[in-house]
Amino acid sequence: MSSPTRNRVLGHLDYVGLLQPAIHKETHAPYPDEVTNEQYRAYTRAAHDVGGERDVPISWEEKEEEVWEHNTFVTCEVLAWRGVWNAEERRRRQNVDVGQTQYLGLPYYGRWLLTAALILVDKQFVTLTELHDKIDEVKKRYE
Amino acid sequence: MSKNHKAAPMVDEVSEFEILELAVRELAIEKGLFTAEDHQQWTEYMHTLGPLPAARLVAKAWLDPEYKKLCVKDGVKASLEVGIDWVNQMPTKFGTPSDYCNLRVLEDTPKLKHVVVCTLCSCYPRPILGQSPEWYRTPNYRRRLVRWPRQVLAEFGLQLPEDVEVRVEDSNQKSRFIVLPVRPEGTEGWSEDQLTEIVTRDCLIGVAMPKPGKTANDVRHIRPAVNPYGH
Amino acid sequence: MSKPNYDLEHHVKKATGIGDPQCFKDEAGEAKFKVGDKVRVKDLPDVFYTRTQAYTRGATAIVAELVYESPPAEDEAWDNCDNPEWFYSLIFRQKDLWPEYPDTFAGDTLETELPERWLESA
Repeated sequence: MSSPTRNRVLGHLDYVGLLQPAIHKETHAPYPDEVTNEQYRAYTRAAHDVGGERDVPISWEEKEEEVWEHNTFVTCEVLAWRGVWNAEERRRRQNVDVGQTQYLGLPYYGRWLLTAALILVDKQFVTLTELHDKIDEVKKRYE
Repeated sequence: MSKNHKAAPMVDEVSEFEILELAVRELAIEKGLFTAEDHQQWTEYMHTLGPLPAARLVAKAWLDPEYKKLCVKDGVKASLEVGIDWVNQMPTKFGTPSDYCNLRVLEDTPKLKHVVVCTLCSCYPRPILGQSPEWYRTPNYRRRLVRWPRQVLAEFGLQLPEDVEVRVEDSNQKSRFIVLPVRPEGTEGWSEDQLTEIVTRDCLIGVAMPKPGKTANDVRHIRPAVNPYGH
Repeated sequence: MSKPNYDLEHHVKKATGIGDPQCFKDEAGEAKFKVGDKVRVKDLPDVFYTRTQAYTRGATAIVAELVYESPPAEDEAWDNCDNPEWFYSLIFRQKDLWPEYPDTFAGDTLETELPERWLESA
């Protein structure tokens, strides 16, 4: 049963969960003696290794694929087909090297795409300057 | 605020992702890393993929105990009989880069129920099952299925008795998995086609069990795309 | 700085018509463990990359199958494919993995694959 009222109150239930008191301890490059071994393990962890972490029940959804998402997937597989990388290199870069913040902050295929861009630069097939110039050139087509 | 002020569009006309995707593809082609034809060829290969071959593998296994044994012993060889060649079918001729060539078929019994997850990313048996569903890729599913499998399965509408062993398969390396569910009651005398129809993608992942009359996955919300890919 | 020279064909040459992990068959030598062995997952250093899940470390499991030979992900992720190992499919009791797992479902299990280097006899 869906109606503006139903949507509003269900959204409210999700939103109030975000209103919680919290004590934040910011870190701006702590001293070595301020970092415990437990924190070291947490900060250097491989972000993709999430099995067993706590999380809440959510609504399981399907999703329409974006054109760019499909093209990104194909690009990544074709780069491997043509020997630029193998899938495990891709996963390491895409699911761990990106770091914890991008791992949870970016869309799933956003990481695939950024990783494909970076492999071209890292293996020196393209300079970063060339990549930046190309992005700029493509952007200008839409202005 | 002036009366002529135009509200900003909800979504930018073209996204950074779309721009970067074009940039990467054009550069790769310009530098000779792959051709536009390569990209098109892989796109066309992806269009051939879906869950039907895996469903048919299950139906065949239900009808033929010897084929079922082959499925469990050698999933790659068994796949050939439903038209899927894990090594040679795709343009590479060495398997797909991401899905490799080691299908393992997980045989359910009345006392053993399998369900598949890839906690580390979202590894999935694309050559025989098609693209993975969105929920399978979420950190949420990957966090919770390994530790609270019965709770997660209940959210999918599946509750198993105490005396059934629930086995979570964490697909973390080169093997890819499909579940071979128990053949449901009420299908006696059915043809291979009829049986194939009730083996849905969700049954093959392990979050649903096949039932007579149920020929589709449960209906779920489909998050729309801004520029949806359609073929 | 000089440009590195990548052999873009090396996997094509090794695996075409054969498949992956099939292309690494017979490269790992003798397997250390056999089906039925009880093993424990070591908590080895894993800085920068691993595919051995944190939740398995220190837990015991039974070897269900010797699945294939392959370079471990830690190496393959840098395209180092010179030292393939045996990969094992391991079955863990959920009660050995999670302290809160209910006794009611004590029969529940989890199966996952790990390369030999991560395992020791238990």
